[in-house]
Amino acid sequence: MNFSFSRYLFIAIILQLIFAELLTFGGFQPNIMLLFVILSSIPIESTSRATIIGFLIGFFSDLVLFNGFYLGLSSLIFSVCAYFASQVSFNFAYRNFDLYWLSLVLLGTALYSFFRYDFFFFNDILFFIKNWFFVSLYTSFVGFLVTRIFRVKQLVLQDA
Amino acid sequence: MAKTDLFLKKNLDSSVLFICILASFSLIFSNNNQKIQKFRSTTLDTFSFLYKPFDWLDDQLFLTRKLEVLSHENLKLNLENQILASNKVENERLRDLLKFRKRNELNLVGADILSKGVNSNMSSVLLDRGLVDGIKKNSAVLSSRGVVGKVIFVSNNHSGVQLVSDVDFRLSVKIIPSETEGIMRWIKSDICEVAEIQTTSDVQIGDVVLTSNLSIYFPPNLPVGEVISVYKKSSSSNKVIRMKLFADLATLNQLFIVGEDK
Repeated sequence: MNFSFSRYLFIAIILQLIFAELLTFGGFQPNIMLLFVILSSIPIESTSRATIIGFLIGFFSDLVLFNGFYLGLSSLIFSVCAYFASQVSFNFAYRNFDLYWLSLVLLGTALYSFFRYDFFFFNDILFFIKNWFFVSLYTSFVGFLVTRIFRVKQLVLQDA
Repeated sequence: MAKTDLFLKKNLDSSVLFICILASFSLIFSNNNQKIQKFRSTTLDTFSFLYKPFDWLDDQLFLTRKLEVLSHENLKLNLENQILASNKVENERLRDLLKFRKRNELNLVGADILSKGVNSNMSSVLLDRGLVDGIKKNSAVLSSRGVVGKVIFVSNNHSGVQLVSDVDFRLSVKIIPSETEGIMRWIKSDICEVAEIQTTSDVQIGDVVLTSNLSIYFPPNLPVGEVISVYKKSSSSNKVIRMKLFADLATLNQLFIVGEDK
């Protein structure tokens, strides 16, 4: 496996901690772990394996990375995103790589926002959208930088 | 049995996803389970070393700014203290005359924020104080300016705090001087709303919001915020009050947990 999973998982954890502790803007921070789950699931052929890995990384995030107090929320979102990410065909991923991970980031952050801010979803939809938009924007921005710096497209598609 | 096996094999991916979703929901719904909470506390205690370097770095990077803010606050509080000291003597004399019960002094335990959580829109923080420091679940948590949240889980050396800015946080408050009581919840940034206010109550902009005497976990009269608007919702017969928190949630560093009474 060219895509060294454990090495990049370690980098993702460090990046997540750096962003969480030092680079939070207006209370918003990117969800690096979600990004990692999406990108690392694309080359995994077995969808069930990717889903289980997503679940476990989510469980780890909730438990160790102090993800608020809803144990299980990240497991739910990461397994759903990993499931969809691993179902993509090579050709599609090759042609629409950025579009694909971006859509999944949007889906993941939307699910996060819905579970965390369900109250605002029903009472103040603009505030809900603002939250979703800023988290997605920040995560996508960091995602663009990370995919360029680490040449993720080549790494992922080499392995697919 | 064979049919089930065949079905699972055919739909292995969907079945695994379904099982993962089911497991996640059962975890979410058992968050308040004692065993789950204990497991979380133990894990956090074990892995808290992960945050230490970032906490240290954060201290180094923002030390000058923090000192500046603290010096400014110190000066302001010194001036306030001088006025309050003279009022205190008079207040104690009057309470003695009226034979009022002595008020308990709060036992405040200082704590550093170890992590602000990997969760967008900060709604919880991890503190470096726990059971060994006399911290209990549901203890009130303050900044130097006012109430910021309450302890939601506690391990030997750490405690997790649910901040006022969490959508599920509610606090029983009273508005001074009218002594009107209501329930506070967060709206956005440092703005909160106090609901269940009687239409006849006399609340003015600028009135101070304190914790009420009705709260089970919060001692009364802790500063919370200041009224910024009063209005009536068309859907309700009660008034609604918008208030600004005294505490600045964006720049939290050191907090105080209300420990057991002295």
